[in-house]
Amino acid sequence: MNTKILLEHLYIVFASVIVSIAAGLPLGVMASLYRPLRKPILWISELLQTVPALALLGLVMLVVGAGKTTVIIGLLLYSLLPIVHNTYLGLETIDQGIKRAARGMGMSRLDRLFSVELPLSFPMIFTGIRIATVTSVGIAVFATSVGGGGLGSIINQGIRTQNMKLILSGTLTLMAMAVIFDGVMALIEKRLNKRVSA
Amino acid sequence: MIRFEEVVKKYGDAVILDQISFEIKEGEFAVLIGPSGCGKTTTLKTINRLIEPEAGRIYVEGKDIMDANPVQLRRKIGYVIQEIGLFPNMTVAQNIAVVPKRLKYSKEEIEQITRDLLDMVNMSYEEYAHKYPSELSGGQQQRIGVLRALAASPPIVLMDEPFGALDPMTRNVLQDEIIRLHKKLKKTIVFVTHDMDEALKLADTIIFMDQGKIVQMAGPDEMLENPASDLIKQFMGKRLSENGVNSLTAADFMKSHPASAYRSDGVKKSTQIMARRQIDTLLIKNEDETYAGSVTIGNIRKFGKQAQTIGEIPVTPNAVSYTKDDAADSFEKLLDSDSDFVVVLHDNDTIAGIVTKTSMARAMADALWGDES
Ligand SMILES: Nc1ncnc2c1ncn2[C@@H]1O[C@H](COP(=O)(O)OP(=O)(O)O)[C@@H](O)[C@H]1O
Ligand SMILES: [Mg+2]
Repeated sequence: MNTKILLEHLYIVFASVIVSIAAGLPLGVMASLYRPLRKPILWISELLQTVPALALLGLVMLVVGAGKTTVIIGLLLYSLLPIVHNTYLGLETIDQGIKRAARGMGMSRLDRLFSVELPLSFPMIFTGIRIATVTSVGIAVFATSVGGGGLGSIINQGIRTQNMKLILSGTLTLMAMAVIFDGVMALIEKRLNKRVSA
Repeated sequence: MIRFEEVVKKYGDAVILDQISFEIKEGEFAVLIGPSGCGKTTTLKTINRLIEPEAGRIYVEGKDIMDANPVQLRRKIGYVIQEIGLFPNMTVAQNIAVVPKRLKYSKEEIEQITRDLLDMVNMSYEEYAHKYPSELSGGQQQRIGVLRALAASPPIVLMDEPFGALDPMTRNVLQDEIIRLHKKLKKTIVFVTHDMDEALKLADTIIFMDQGKIVQMAGPDEMLENPASDLIKQFMGKRLSENGVNSLTAADFMKSHPASAYRSDGVKKSTQIMARRQIDTLLIKNEDETYAGSVTIGNIRKFGKQAQTIGEIPVTPNAVSYTKDDAADSFEKLLDSDSDFVVVLHDNDTIAGIVTKTSMARAMADALWGDES
């Protein structure tokens, strides 16, 4: 197994998740803060997920051209839903008493958001990030089809040369990666939840 | 000092505050009381501009609050609520520091304040300052809720049923503490409750509200002697029958969760409930949960054929007690009436339970041979 390919895959996953957080978190916050934006934001992020992954990557490629950027943009669009949704949900499910106390004590809107609401939503947001990460590990397989490399290229090569060993090693690595990310992040999530439970 | 001048609040067509005017003097402990939904919380929230009235003026410390920035205004008015609302992501010390920090107090000052405040309620700084709210009991949490409201020494503190969710013993202790704090710190306190005992215990002045209006504003003694309306008398009456701390109340002797049905429930469903629980009388509730009367199996047999809902069947009036009434009253009613039970209601007229000869005997046995273990 080629370390470079493994790292390439990890790079695609991490880069896209980070970009998704950078885009999804503010969108989730806006959906919760500004009523008129709620429907469009949630609707678009949901709609994007219904496009088949390969087709989405293909469409992005038509605009951006082949390469890693295409993959990262594609995955970003795909990862938006769990992050936007969980951010929105996290903010919406904060205890009314806590919100009322914060307002009544003279905390401004942004102060409330950053000092209380986002910290309390963080476990929920982190769950979104976990889902996005694990899904991205799988979907990044298609990267190779749009010139992005990654573990998909090994599997592709195995299919072309009818090499069972190659196919298996690619697939098992992917599965291991997904399971490890899921397990470790679920563990972190548990500790986060303990922290903020009232 | 707080002054209301003809304050009006409406939601749509519903008038929630109906031109209310009153004045609370500096350092006064004022208690707002009245039936549920009469506008107590709304009144309180207009003081720190969580709610803005349609008409009228409100002055705090002589200044019209509409001229102040709401955020700045709220930092000078302490706020304590029934839900407590401590921030679970912050320690006790951080919770107490919320307002002082925003008013740019120095670190040293904030720590000193936190120590002094915890000291006042006999909680050690070393033990509690760095705990999270989830590690505290309900009573301790609300103590911190009160301290948090006091941290930046606001001249005024608003409290909305702050002890309503606590068990009676803890509530008593916190009531004593707030009396002590008030004596010591001389804050103006506006305290909402629907519990007349609490009002009489805490208040310098009681403001009795009903349907968005102030019915009477008087000291506890004056209100006890000259209640201005039947409703106030009723609120007081529940308390007057409770002479002595050890006297038992109807609540102590009742069987809770008696079988009941809504007026809109079907006759068939209602008789099924009666069959299942092997009873011959069913309590009937209005749609807002308040008690409407009881229906006997005899009346169901007589009128059930024509009726669709149980509400159409004539109800038999029953003897009624309130949870806080003296138990002896309930016994007398039970023995005097021909019915087998007395209905026990909460203050808001919803059903709390029934006192029967059996439940009475059982409670007596408990009281005499104790389940004190
Ligand atoms: N946001 C709202 N919209 C419509 N009606 C409301 C709203 N908030 C409160 N009310 C009504 O105003 C009345 C007074 O409420 P409130 O001040 O909370 O009463 P309470 O005396 O129990 O504290 C109630 O009848 C309640 O239903
Ligand atoms: Mg209320």
